[in-house]
Amino acid sequence: MSRCVLAVRHMEAGLLQSLVYRAAELKAVVEKDGPQSQKRPRVVGLLFFENSTRTRVSFEQAAFYLGHKCVNFSAAGSSVSKGETLKDTILTLKHERLEAMVVRHSASGACALAAKYFGGPVVNAGDGQHEHPTQALGDALTILERKGTLTGLKVAIVGDVMHSRVARSNAWLLSKLGNEVRFVGPRTLIPGHTSMLPGQVHYDLRAGIADADVVMCLRLQKERMADGMISSVAEFVRMYQVNRSSIRAAKPDAIVMHPGPLNRGIELDDHIADGAQSGVTQQVTNGVFVRMAALEWVFQEDAS
Amino acid sequence: MRTLFKNGRILDPSQDLDVVGSVIVEDSQIAEVGPDIDEGDVDEVYDCTGFWITPGLVDMHTHLREPGEERRETIKSGTQAAAAGGFTTICCMPNTTPPLDNAALVDFILDKAAAPEAGGVFVAPVGALTVGNNGEVISDLAALKKAGIVAASDEDYPIQNSRVMLRAMEFALQLDLPLMLHCDDRNLSAGGSMNDGATSAMLGLRGIPRSSEVTMIMRNCELALNTGCRIHIMRVSTWGGVEAIRQFKYLGAPVTCEIAPHHFVFTDEAVGEFDPNFKTTPPLRTQVDIDILVQALNDGTIDCIASDHSPHPSHLVDVPFEEAPFGSVGLETTVGAALTFLTHRNFLSPLETIRKLSTRPASILRLEAGTLKPGDTPVAQVTVIDPEIEWTVDRNKTFSHSRNNSWHGVRLKGKPLLTFCGGEIYRDAKFDASRFVAC
Repeated sequence: MSRCVLAVRHMEAGLLQSLVYRAAELKAVVEKDGPQSQKRPRVVGLLFFENSTRTRVSFEQAAFYLGHKCVNFSAAGSSVSKGETLKDTILTLKHERLEAMVVRHSASGACALAAKYFGGPVVNAGDGQHEHPTQALGDALTILERKGTLTGLKVAIVGDVMHSRVARSNAWLLSKLGNEVRFVGPRTLIPGHTSMLPGQVHYDLRAGIADADVVMCLRLQKERMADGMISSVAEFVRMYQVNRSSIRAAKPDAIVMHPGPLNRGIELDDHIADGAQSGVTQQVTNGVFVRMAALEWVFQEDAS
Repeated sequence: MRTLFKNGRILDPSQDLDVVGSVIVEDSQIAEVGPDIDEGDVDEVYDCTGFWITPGLVDMHTHLREPGEERRETIKSGTQAAAAGGFTTICCMPNTTPPLDNAALVDFILDKAAAPEAGGVFVAPVGALTVGNNGEVISDLAALKKAGIVAASDEDYPIQNSRVMLRAMEFALQLDLPLMLHCDDRNLSAGGSMNDGATSAMLGLRGIPRSSEVTMIMRNCELALNTGCRIHIMRVSTWGGVEAIRQFKYLGAPVTCEIAPHHFVFTDEAVGEFDPNFKTTPPLRTQVDIDILVQALNDGTIDCIASDHSPHPSHLVDVPFEEAPFGSVGLETTVGAALTFLTHRNFLSPLETIRKLSTRPASILRLEAGTLKPGDTPVAQVTVIDPEIEWTVDRNKTFSHSRNNSWHGVRLKGKPLLTFCGGEIYRDAKFDASRFVAC
C-alpha cells in the first residue's frame, strides 16, 4: 500500500511531527543549496478539480526543489468538462504513468476515492470541507518557528469553522501534538455537533482568544452571506474581526495566522495583517517546504 | 391441484393466528389453514417443519425505476428481487422518468408486472401526486385511481407548499385515496448528504437536520387531522418524527407510518470514510433515534416495515459521497434484517413482525393481501420463512440490477425460502430438496 497524505485525523502524532521537522531541515537545505537533483525524478500529477493558485504553485515549487517533475491537470478544459467521472480521470492518469497525485476537489472525501483508484501515493491538496493536510503542516512549521515549540500552546481557530477544511486539519494536527484548540465563531458557522472534532467551542471572540498563543483566522466565503449565515459583513467584523482592539485578549506575543486569500478588513484589519504579529507570509513560504516533506515521504515507501 | 404447506408455524396476523399446522392451497386458492386439517389427496407437499408459514409479504415502498431508469432496475428484475425477498405484493413509487402521473403509465406498469417473465408478484402502483412531480399542480388522481393506483405520493419531490398539500389532501379525501408522503423541508435539508451531527461535522459534509423531517411530518399530520385525509408517512427516521406521529395518532389524525430497515439498524457512523452505500434519504441517524424507533415499532406507533428498495448503478455510486445518489437496495434483505434486529432481539414477536411486513401494509392500502383467510385474496399468497438460518449478504447475489447495498457483508438470521403467489414464484437454494415432494 502506497503512502498517502489524505487526512490529518488518520495520521499519527509522530509522523506529523517528523514531517514538520523534516520540512524545517529541507527549508535550510534549499535556502543554502537550492534545488536538489534526483537520480530518478518522479512525475507528480497536480489534479486540481477546484480552482487554486497558491496551493498549486506551492506544490510545483516543492516538486521542483526536490528535483521531480509536475504535470498539471485542471478540470476546466479537460475531459472532466466532457463529463468524465473522477474514477476514469484517475485511471487514465494512472496509466499515463504518473507516479504520485496531488488532488484538490470540491467534494469531501474525493481524495480518498482518488487514492482507491490510483493505488499509488496521493496527497490531499484540499477536499471539500473535509481536510487540507499540507496547509496544517505549513501552519505547524510557522508556529514552531515563531513559538519554538509545537506543544502546550493555546490555539484559537476563528471564523467559518463549519465550511473550513483548514480548520479541521489544523485542529487535528495541533490537538494530536498536545495543544489546546478552540473553535471561535458565530453559531451559524460552527457545527452544531463537535463531539468528534478536537476542540472547545466559543461563540465570543474575546473569550475564545483569551490568553491564546496562536490566533488562526479563516477565510469568510462570500456565499455565506447569501446563505444567511451572517447577517452582514459589518456585523461579522463587529463581532469576530481580529484587530488591534480584539487581539488584546490574546497573549501579547500571540501570532496571528490566515490561510489566505485574505479578505482585508473583514477577518483581519491591516494593522494585524501587516503587523509584527502576523504569520501570513511565513505560512505561505513554509507551505512549500512541508509539501516537499510530504512528497519526499510518500515516495520513500516506493524505494523500500 | 392441491398443494400442502405442512407442519410449519402458521403466523397470520389477520386472524391473530400463531399455531403449528398446515396450509392447503387448492387451484391457486387458500383452502384450509390450521392445526387439524384434513390433508386429503395432495399433489405437492412443502415440508415446513421448523419454518414460518405467513401470508405473502407486502412491501409498500419499492422503486422499480421503470420506465426511464432501466439501468437501475426494471419491473422484471425488481419483481424477481421482491419474490426472492418473500414479497407477493409490492407498491412501486412514482418517481420514474417520466413520473407516474397519467393513466397510460399505470397500464404500462401493470402490463409489464403481469408478463410471464416478470417475478410473479402483484404490483400496486403509487401515482405521482403532482404533475411531473413539480410540487405545484395536482395530478388527475381520479383517472389514476381508475387505472389502478393504490395511493398517491410526492416521493423524492416532497411538496413544500402547504397550500398545495392541503388541496391534495382535499382531492384525495374525496377519492378515498391515501397519500404516501415524503416529509422533508428542502430549505432545511438543501445541499445535505448525511445526518447533521458529529460525524458530518468531522467529515466536512453538509448535514440534513432532523428538523427537516420533523417539521414536515408535523405539517402533514396537522393537515391530515384538519381534512380527514388518510396519510402514510414514508420511512420515518427521527425520534422527533415518531413522537409527532404518536401525538397526532392520539389526537385522532388518520396517519400511519413505515420504517425502512436501515433506519433501525445503522447509525450515521456507518458512513465511515465516505461510503456512499450508506447515503440514504432520510439519512441514517443516531443510536438515540434507533432506540426510540424500535420502541415505536414495539408499541405500534410505527405500523409497517418497508424496504425502500432504491437501486442505482455502480457508476453513479462510485463517485465522491456528496455526488452519489441516495438509497440502498433492500428487497432481499428486509425480512432478514427485521428478524435479526427486531424479532430475535425480542422487540417484536413473530406475529407482530409479520403484521408489519404483510397484514398492516395491506390494510393501510386496502390491498387484497396480507392474510391466509380462504377467499380474502384473489390468489393464494404464502411466504415460508426459515427464522433460524444464518446467512451473509452478498451484494452480487441478487436479482436486482444494482449493487448499491448497505447490507453487503452483514450477517443476518432469518430468510424467506419459498414465495408462493398463485403458484411457486421463488424457491431458495437453501430450501432443502428433500422438503419438497411432488406426489
